[in-house]
Amino acid sequence: MAMEPELAKHLFKKPITLKYPFEKISPPEGFRGKLSWDADKCVGCGLCVTVCPSFALEMIGKGPTAEFRYYLSRCVFCSQCVSTCPKDALKMTNEYELADYKPVVIEFKRGKS
Amino acid sequence: MSEKEVGTAFEVPIGPQHPALKEPILLLFKVDGDIVVDVWPRIHTHRGIEKATESRNYIQNIYLCERVCGICSFIHTLVYTQGVEKLLDIEAPPRAQYIRVIVSELERIHSHTLWLGVAAHELGFDTLFYYVWRDREVVMDLLELISGNRVNYAISTIGGVRRDISPEVADKIRKGLDILEKRMDVYKGVVEKEPTLRERVVGVGKLSPQDAIALCAVGPTLRMTGVKRDVRADDPYQAYDEIPFNVITYPTGDVLSQIIVRVGEVYESINIIRYALDHMPSGPIKVKVPWYIPPNEVISRGEAPRGELFYYLKSNGTEKPERVKIRTPTLANIPSVCKMLIGCHVADIPIIFAGIDPCLSCTGRFAFIDEKKNKSWIWNNEELKRYSLKWYGKA
Amino acid sequence: MVWESLIGLIELLIFPGVFFIFWLALTYEWIDRKFYAKLQNRYGPLHVGAKGFWQPLADFIKLMVKEDIIPAASDRLLFTLTPIFLLTLSLTAFFFVPIVPLLRDVALASFEGDLILVIFLLTMIAVVKFLGAWGSTNIFGAVGGVRLAFQLLGYEIPLAICLVSPAIVAGSLSISIIAQYVGSNIIVAIALLPALAVSIVCFQAELERIPFDIPEAEQEIVAGWLTEFSGRRLALIRLSIDVELALASALLAALFLGGPYGPIIPFLPVQVSYFIWFIIKATIILLIFSNIRTLFARLRIDQMVHFSWKNLTIISLLEIVLIQALLAGGVI
Repeated sequence: MAMEPELAKHLFKKPITLKYPFEKISPPEGFRGKLSWDADKCVGCGLCVTVCPSFALEMIGKGPTAEFRYYLSRCVFCSQCVSTCPKDALKMTNEYELADYKPVVIEFKRGKS
Repeated sequence: MSEKEVGTAFEVPIGPQHPALKEPILLLFKVDGDIVVDVWPRIHTHRGIEKATESRNYIQNIYLCERVCGICSFIHTLVYTQGVEKLLDIEAPPRAQYIRVIVSELERIHSHTLWLGVAAHELGFDTLFYYVWRDREVVMDLLELISGNRVNYAISTIGGVRRDISPEVADKIRKGLDILEKRMDVYKGVVEKEPTLRERVVGVGKLSPQDAIALCAVGPTLRMTGVKRDVRADDPYQAYDEIPFNVITYPTGDVLSQIIVRVGEVYESINIIRYALDHMPSGPIKVKVPWYIPPNEVISRGEAPRGELFYYLKSNGTEKPERVKIRTPTLANIPSVCKMLIGCHVADIPIIFAGIDPCLSCTGRFAFIDEKKNKSWIWNNEELKRYSLKWYGKA
Repeated sequence: MVWESLIGLIELLIFPGVFFIFWLALTYEWIDRKFYAKLQNRYGPLHVGAKGFWQPLADFIKLMVKEDIIPAASDRLLFTLTPIFLLTLSLTAFFFVPIVPLLRDVALASFEGDLILVIFLLTMIAVVKFLGAWGSTNIFGAVGGVRLAFQLLGYEIPLAICLVSPAIVAGSLSISIIAQYVGSNIIVAIALLPALAVSIVCFQAELERIPFDIPEAEQEIVAGWLTEFSGRRLALIRLSIDVELALASALLAALFLGGPYGPIIPFLPVQVSYFIWFIIKATIILLIFSNIRTLFARLRIDQMVHFSWKNLTIISLLEIVLIQALLAGGVI
């Protein structure tokens, strides 16, 4: 009988359930979502590749013209690459709806300047 | 265990797949009518994490060790990074230590409220389960605000922490803790007054303090028998020597005292966080560490929500560790739970087993397998001691 | 003559017969799930139909089209007969409950002594469940079946005593006559309230709902006596459990609250007014069942039997004494 007062209170309250995907909450600031790469700041040092725990970043080429392959399906969203990058070229965005039917590979290429 | 005796006993297997268990383990029960006569556990989760740490550098290993357990993920990174700092003989700056304490205690609150919900579910009390998990979302949102993720916070690194707690975030933490404290008062009242709940947990799964110490129980499973042992008080790490707190014990030693100890620890954690937020020193949050770690071997301990977590680290001068050995608290509690299960009713099995807060994804053990001779065996304590004396005698 | 037989057939099969009973059972499962969810601050079924109204029907159809697996070691006869008998017994028991005044009678079938027949059918349902569990030859099924038999020992005596108390007052063993008597005397209904409370608790045990869902305890013995059933058989068993829930609500409404009898609502034909009273009373009892399901943890089987014999039986015997005293005193 101890929970009866609680139950009676909730008879007239709106349910707490979020009707996802019709209702969504946006994640707070600093959320670790999908990675984004700023080509202008990157110098191709390759430190991010060394510290990634799940080998999700692969560097193609060397130096200031290096491009990257980002294996989204392997990424654990730890943001160690963001902390290690000496030029702040990597950032984590707010995107979290990343489920897919097959492994996703994103190419980070340098565009024509 | 003696193999299949013919008699009046009836064998009931719980596991490896069973609705009572959240993770796989095999518990083979010999049952006489409704009373359990004997239990034989078989732990078979082995994930190869310790071997995987040997081929990754120290920074990558932080995230590997974090994923040993989902519920106690922060204490694994904390004990690991604390161990690597010990290998290098440096200490994290004071502000980083306070932040680590705050996140560690928030994780303890999250783990204990998760356990309360799961224990209520094992008793068939789904209503309490839903309500407690609804209020646990307050803690999850706070952790997401601090670290960017609801589980696997990845906030501790070698040499300090990676993110700071700004005054706005500290304000939100205080507000969230006030809400949480009010809700915990309601659930404490339910646990103390609800008659069907008390019928199921009072006097069930008793463990005496002498048995608990002899069988090497750790954590709340030990404290619920009345023994006052807590790594945070006995061997203070990080900022715990500067923060006053009580070690919660309860003398009866049944499942009700498990509930009371864990609910009490939630209140203590709330007070620790408030004290830490009020007295947080200013300063840097990280120190620079070298990439190559000189040869050393070190032991690092911490108080996970389930008990004492124990890491052994050995470095050899390169950027990859030589050996990382992890001993999780649930492995230490398995002999105690087997003792608690003998003599109980079949209906009490789920709640007694869930009472020690089992996290079987962390529970690994080792066995020897000789493929050529097609043999497999395990060692007991004396054989292990003999082998270690021989090995160190050689070296 | 032909016209009467045709109407009788429609009454038996459609309203208030088999089709209506199935519709009422599924609707009551929906109300039960929505109320249970509302008390727990969540939604319950939501998307299938308006506010999830067709969810129980969707579950039934889903189970009907799934593969039906019979374990090789099980007793085929018991396994096959269990769902058929469960559904038949609960439907048959429902025929004796008055729902709305019909062409000839108030219930589809009624005679002097049909209350005893309904109590007998409820016991037979539990026995059939036990045989079904035994025939599954599964450890969890066997444990669940044994617990079911034990639970039957616990709740049957207080339930029988309490269900017979209104019969003592009304002086008849026919459910329809009892409903008419209780429906026209409000003092009788108030004197019978303790028996109503004990019957609600005993029916909670008979329907195997928390705090008495011991034979079906999900966390201890997977699904108890239901473990090995799948596909069409499981669909029929779940439908029969829903019919039992509707039966319990309707029976208690008829015996203790007066069934369809009540003040006539103006501007409506008599049948519609009786039907509305029946639905209101049965739904009130259903909401009490759902609330009890939300409040408590699950008891252990020995605790349940102790509780039943120490508390429920004593209260039901005291109720008989009270009724006899009131009858002798001329109050009712």
